Amino acid sequence: MRGRPNAALVIGGALVGLVVLAALTSFVWTPHDPTYVDAAGKLREPGDGYLLGADKFGRDTLSQLMVGARTTLYVGIVAVGVAALIGTPLGVVAGMAPRSQGWLSELIMRLNDLVFAFPALLLAVMLAAVYGAGTLTAMAAIGVATVPAFARVARAATMQVMVTDYILAARAAGRRRTAIAVRHVLPNIGSVLIVQASVSFAIAILAEAALSFLGFGTRPPTPSWGRMLQESQELLFSTPRLALWPGLAVALAVLGFNLLGDGLRDHLDPRLRRVRAEG
Amino acid sequence: MRRIVTWIALGGLLLSTAACGGGSRGTGGTGAGESLAVGFVAEPANLDFTSTEGAAIPQALLVNVYEGLVKLGQDGTVQPLLAEKWDVSPDRRTYTFTLRDNVTFSSGAPFTADDVVFSLDRVRTDWKLKIKAQLDVIDKVEKKDDSTAVVTLKRPSNGFLYSMATRLGAMFSRTGVSDLANKPVGTGPYVLASWKRGDSIRLEAAQKYWGAKPSLTAVTLKYFKDATAMNNALLTGGIDVISSVQAPESLRQFADPGRFETVEGTTNGEVVLSMNNGRPPFDDKKVRQAVRHAIDHKALLDTAWAGRGQLIGSMVPPTDPWYEDRTGDRPYDVAKARALLGGKTYTVKMRIPNLPYAVAAAQVVKSQLAQVGITADIEPLEFPARWLDVVFKQGDYHMSIINHVEPRDMGIFADKSYYFRYDNPEFGKLLASADQGSEQQQADDLKKAAKLLSDDAAADWLFLFPNLIVAKKGVTGLPKNGISESFDFTGLAKQ
Amino acid sequence: MTLYLLKRMAVLVASTAVAGVAVFAFMAVLPGDPAEIALGVNATPEAVARLRAQFGTDRPPAAQFLDWFGGLAQGDFGTSYVTSSPVGPQIADRLGVTGVLVLGGMAIALLIAVPAGTFAAVHHRNALGAAISAASQAGIAVPAFLAGILLVFVFAVRAQALPSGGYVPVAEDPVEWLRSLLLPWLSLGLVQGAVLTRYVRSSVLDVMREDYLRTARAKGRGSMGALWRHGLRNASIPVVTVLGLQLATLLVGAVVVERVFVVPGLGDLLLNGVAGRDLLLVQGVVMVLVVAVLLINFVVDVCYAALDPRLRGSR
Repeated sequence: MRGRPNAALVIGGALVGLVVLAALTSFVWTPHDPTYVDAAGKLREPGDGYLLGADKFGRDTLSQLMVGARTTLYVGIVAVGVAALIGTPLGVVAGMAPRSQGWLSELIMRLNDLVFAFPALLLAVMLAAVYGAGTLTAMAAIGVATVPAFARVARAATMQVMVTDYILAARAAGRRRTAIAVRHVLPNIGSVLIVQASVSFAIAILAEAALSFLGFGTRPPTPSWGRMLQESQELLFSTPRLALWPGLAVALAVLGFNLLGDGLRDHLDPRLRRVRAEG
Repeated sequence: MRRIVTWIALGGLLLSTAACGGGSRGTGGTGAGESLAVGFVAEPANLDFTSTEGAAIPQALLVNVYEGLVKLGQDGTVQPLLAEKWDVSPDRRTYTFTLRDNVTFSSGAPFTADDVVFSLDRVRTDWKLKIKAQLDVIDKVEKKDDSTAVVTLKRPSNGFLYSMATRLGAMFSRTGVSDLANKPVGTGPYVLASWKRGDSIRLEAAQKYWGAKPSLTAVTLKYFKDATAMNNALLTGGIDVISSVQAPESLRQFADPGRFETVEGTTNGEVVLSMNNGRPPFDDKKVRQAVRHAIDHKALLDTAWAGRGQLIGSMVPPTDPWYEDRTGDRPYDVAKARALLGGKTYTVKMRIPNLPYAVAAAQVVKSQLAQVGITADIEPLEFPARWLDVVFKQGDYHMSIINHVEPRDMGIFADKSYYFRYDNPEFGKLLASADQGSEQQQADDLKKAAKLLSDDAAADWLFLFPNLIVAKKGVTGLPKNGISESFDFTGLAKQ
Repeated sequence: MTLYLLKRMAVLVASTAVAGVAVFAFMAVLPGDPAEIALGVNATPEAVARLRAQFGTDRPPAAQFLDWFGGLAQGDFGTSYVTSSPVGPQIADRLGVTGVLVLGGMAIALLIAVPAGTFAAVHHRNALGAAISAASQAGIAVPAFLAGILLVFVFAVRAQALPSGGYVPVAEDPVEWLRSLLLPWLSLGLVQGAVLTRYVRSSVLDVMREDYLRTARAKGRGSMGALWRHGLRNASIPVVTVLGLQLATLLVGAVVVERVFVVPGLGDLLLNGVAGRDLLLVQGVVMVLVVAVLLINFVVDVCYAALDPRLRGSR
């Protein structure tokens, strides 16, 4: 990994770092109790110990944002973890299957199509609605919904890698398939997966916001940026800052993960380095 | 005893986000003074309120399309509608209704005493709702002549006439009940013109109406699932009226008196913090009382519902004749609450419907209970289906919050199988004696009953749900108080 | 190719059948008895039993499934338990609305993404390309409903130029139809366009590094020309994949956008169906969505095969 980190990597890393830092700090310290209802402090203006003011319940916005960062990370990790852990192996196996085992690839991809064909995110909404399951179930469902995306991308990338010279060489040299998969395929499709993971992480954050908007998101009073956005709606015109901060937080977190993915991709991709070297 | 049964679905549906979103271009701008578009929250699933629960159907159709012999006035009294007058026998068991002449159904069929017999008998034979039990007190319904109907009761009942003003008393045509779900036939000033499912219902003025013709030629009921979308529709002229404000903080947007007008009144909706009397820890009266002391109701109303509404303290709304302010019974007093708990701490499940007011109030309740050592875990359940199943039917909860919108519904506490699981025989006796006694005795008994509920802390009453309407300037005839099942369009006009 | 098509169609039919079973099973495990819910909490047990018999939900699941699926095969979605009207026409109505919403959003997304993404890839080392990348990043980062709310605020509430919501059928008034759809299209299309821009950029970049393109450039062709002749076709493969994948996202985005703009679409119908436990309605809607996506997949796969013979060979 030689070369200077690129701008996207730096900015993305910084933004994600900020989210992580806020989340970790919130475990030991927040300016105020983020869920304490204080009628006297209703819609308190920023300042005086309340850096970003308070919401209609008199709850400190900054404290809510900090604890909300935890929710955001939790949501992303669950969803992307589920999707990547299931989707990637499926995609690689399907992509590597030789012609004699075409049925295997076919079966995996057809099942994949079927899972994909279910409007799974809608099903997540339905599950959350029906079971009131809260964040975890909904996110796991969103993760499952993202499995086909990972599998397809992994398979497409694997198939492209499989026809490259070095894999052909490795196969000609009689390497075992698992070895090829681990030593050659995974590193070479890694960049694609990272981009996918970054996009999925961002999508999961956005999905949590959307679920909250529909009223099926994180359980109250656990602070979540999505619910903060939803609760601020009725005050959008009179107290826009209540929507501004969580909106900005969601946007910057999503931006951060996307940039981080892009940056890593450019940084890690050996082919791109080659191109650079040529340029 | 007349058993008063509540379908909470009404309140929930009214306030829930669980109805159809919908809407199209407002009729506000077209044909000035002729039609109005009114925004509602809950769209009916079908138009048959004899077999389908929910507030949305009578809200749209009762008084507007269907009429009863009597209706409920804005002051909470029963007033004549299709009956010009009625006489009550000295033993208070026989009601003789004198019907109006020249009343016809929208199908053209004349309305006579035969239809009264038909409609009231039908309640017993064909209605599928359990509330029909309210009319079980009827012994028989007879036609004396075309314009006189006689109802005989099994025993005197103060609740009978009131029930007749609800959907139970709606008059149906003998030839008009074949497709109630889609084709309502009534005697009202409006008829159903069209229904765009998921969007709107259009009512048009009836060709022929016995009373004063409404000043509007049409009213469009537009359905919105999202409070913000409904607000925006009023701001941009898509609708003329918001029938029930779901996000009271947003009223600030409509503060300009040159453009908008806000009507604020009362409803029958008591927002109840229920505590499962049949389960620890709330089987202990002291713990329930501690909860009542631990909650700062004023602060709760100010934060959760923008200070709109009224603090009541028991299960009686201010429009009922036997209302007394009971907020002083258990004032906010953290020290007293702690003393009642005796240093013990509890963790309880607060299973609430996923409705805006419940979610908002629950967060305040949780925060306030934490101050006295009660940890309430909030679990929002999908309304109606899931909440009704888990909390209402199975009683699997410690605490819940729901708006009981049914009129005169204190009797639900007399049923010990009701989800409150409140069991005090004394209360049931008071209610039974109230229904059969004179009007004075009724009021006295019900006052005692309300006090008993408050003393026992059978539940806590967070606040009385406000009737909040916002309209474009110039819209007149909006009901100040939302105390009947219908949203009465008959007086609505546009200047 | 013909054989491939035939095989692919067989898979489509089989998938649909499996999906039918899955949808039915999913619905069957949802808690809540439709008869009880239709009658409310205070219904008498006898009334519930009667209604159950009337709905046919007292029969064994297998019989109910065969009934339902058999009906589907003949285009009959059954009669709703809740509205007592046929489900099929309701779905068709809403499908039209959501279809127009999603396709319009997708069209806007493509109109933005293809030129912007290609441009950003070609100019990936200068400021302009970076600016486009940054803009697309920002676009992705905004939740669709927030975009919608902001659009409403600017164009409807402030400017009073467009309606804040609602839907006017095209037959009723084509101009109002267009006006009512502009903001929903934009809020779907802008966000989706930003997502697609990233994929277009990254796959065009990939293609630009391919040997054959470098060869073409080495032979003296301009890089734009070479890209045009050889690259776009190959670059479009991952984009077509993503396009298909994004459709599911768009359908969900549509639910939220339908809510913000009060558009009576399929998502709205589905959520209502769930709330009212209108099983047949929910089954019908989900089935329609599943088949729609299966069909899209089918088309994507066929496009794949047509675009890249290498892929066809490996099947």
